[in-house]
Amino acid sequence: MTSILSQADMKQPIARAPLQTFVAVPTAPSPSGGTHLPHEQSLARQILHNLQHQHYWTGLQVHTHSPLTDEPLPRPLVSGLPPQRLYVHPDEQVELLKKADRERKARAAGEAGGLDVRTEPEREWILPTRLNEKWTLRRLAGVFDALTMVPPATETPAAAAEEGLASPWRTTKRVLLATADTDSTVVYYIVHDGVVKPRQN
Amino acid sequence: MAPAPAPNPVTEPFTISCIAGRYLLFDVDIIAHCRRAHNICGVLVGTIPNLSQQNVFLGIPLELMPEEARVLVERGAAYVVDDAAVHQNRFMEMSREERLKFMEDMDRRGEEVTREQHSQAERRKDRALKEKGLRRETMERQSEDSVADGTATDETLQADDSSVASSDLGFIMKGSSFSDPWVQIKAPKIDSSAIESILLEPTPASSPEPTVRSSTSKGVAGQKHFVTPTTSYPPLPTPSQDVALPLPAVPNSYPLFRYLHSKGYFHMPGLRFGCHYNVYPGDPLRYHSHFAATGLGWDHEFDLLDVVGGGRLGTGTKKAYMIGGEDPDVGGRGDDNSHDEESVRAFSIEWAAI
Repeated sequence: MTSILSQADMKQPIARAPLQTFVAVPTAPSPSGGTHLPHEQSLARQILHNLQHQHYWTGLQVHTHSPLTDEPLPRPLVSGLPPQRLYVHPDEQVELLKKADRERKARAAGEAGGLDVRTEPEREWILPTRLNEKWTLRRLAGVFDALTMVPPATETPAAAAEEGLASPWRTTKRVLLATADTDSTVVYYIVHDGVVKPRQN
Repeated sequence: MAPAPAPNPVTEPFTISCIAGRYLLFDVDIIAHCRRAHNICGVLVGTIPNLSQQNVFLGIPLELMPEEARVLVERGAAYVVDDAAVHQNRFMEMSREERLKFMEDMDRRGEEVTREQHSQAERRKDRALKEKGLRRETMERQSEDSVADGTATDETLQADDSSVASSDLGFIMKGSSFSDPWVQIKAPKIDSSAIESILLEPTPASSPEPTVRSSTSKGVAGQKHFVTPTTSYPPLPTPSQDVALPLPAVPNSYPLFRYLHSKGYFHMPGLRFGCHYNVYPGDPLRYHSHFAATGLGWDHEFDLLDVVGGGRLGTGTKKAYMIGGEDPDVGGRGDDNSHDEESVRAFSIEWAAI
């Protein structure tokens, strides 16, 4: 027993991994200071890191205060721009398909090419969670109540323009629920605020 | 395709029978009315005793979920009645005249069924003989002509008769001696004292020997069917609303059910998809379900693993998983359903495919 203890004492301190450093230390001192617990902040940064490097999202940022009320959020949330559109409402999909079909017919008959459905990506809210957490409807509703329909635009004007274009189909709030397990696996589910019919996959 | 027959009108409020804590409907017209007018499907649970069937072959009664019964009662479309108690009370109150009248009615219906079956059997026999080229008339003439062969022909006819008669009982009963005495037991005329004794005493009637018809009644014509009534509200008057039970007790998933029902959705039990309700945008016979919904209390804690599992299963079966419940701080419990719009919140969950 004593020998094991002494071995542990002798162990050299291991240098922290770059990800560990990234998650643990906020790059800029947040103005909110101590509104959120450190583990909540590091969770948000872990999700941000995962989105950025595994799913190629851009324009990612951590929000600590509600854009609606400027009150502190229940926990830090992330917002960002996916590489492709994350969610297409089934009604919008029907419209897009009709539009693409019209365009195909308008093209010359000799031209090759099938339906060309194009959707611009939209900024999304991401709610970072851990798998071993317990949630209630009250807390979930509290998160939605603090959010805007679309995350506030980043400093790039292009994103702001997209936001204006994307709005007509976006009638209910939605959040990307990111759930991280202890082995750092992250799964993503779209949560809509309200009764939203499923996509026709 | 032939157009559907015009539905028999149903007067609201109708009764929901509460038997052993289950909410049951026994009338086909009411079942159709519930589905057509109230978006309530229920589940058919009727089956043959000792030969239970898979769920596609089940018949009446229809079992309602407590939530469905509650919605119907809250809408004022129905009221719940403790059927066991009502039956005991009403049958005890029933007078002798009413009882006899009902028995006569049942006998008359039994005779009608017998006549109908007999004529059907005759038609079948004629057809079969015609196909074999043996006209019935010719055979009868033959039997009359030949006196010597009379017994043999009689026997063949007799055999023919009995085979037709026993065909309804199935081949197991064919040739068994069970059917013949059974035919003779029932008296063709109602002996009121005998019926009284049958009704009042559990012992089988032994004292008044039933009058047996002449030997001709041994054939198909003498057999009478015993009609078992499937409803108890023709003999009994429909129970009045003042014996109605209080609102059905419902689980805490009820606010979500009520909210979705008020939006015009149909519900089926959610066991198959591990949720409380399968939610359909229209009649389940016509539409694919949209949601696998789980109702929760506002402060009821749930695991995120349940959300992940439900979301994944829902997406795999072309649905969305839904969780929802009532916020007790908003609006409160009002009688009108307008409160639901604010107080109940639902969240639809889909796999994000990333």
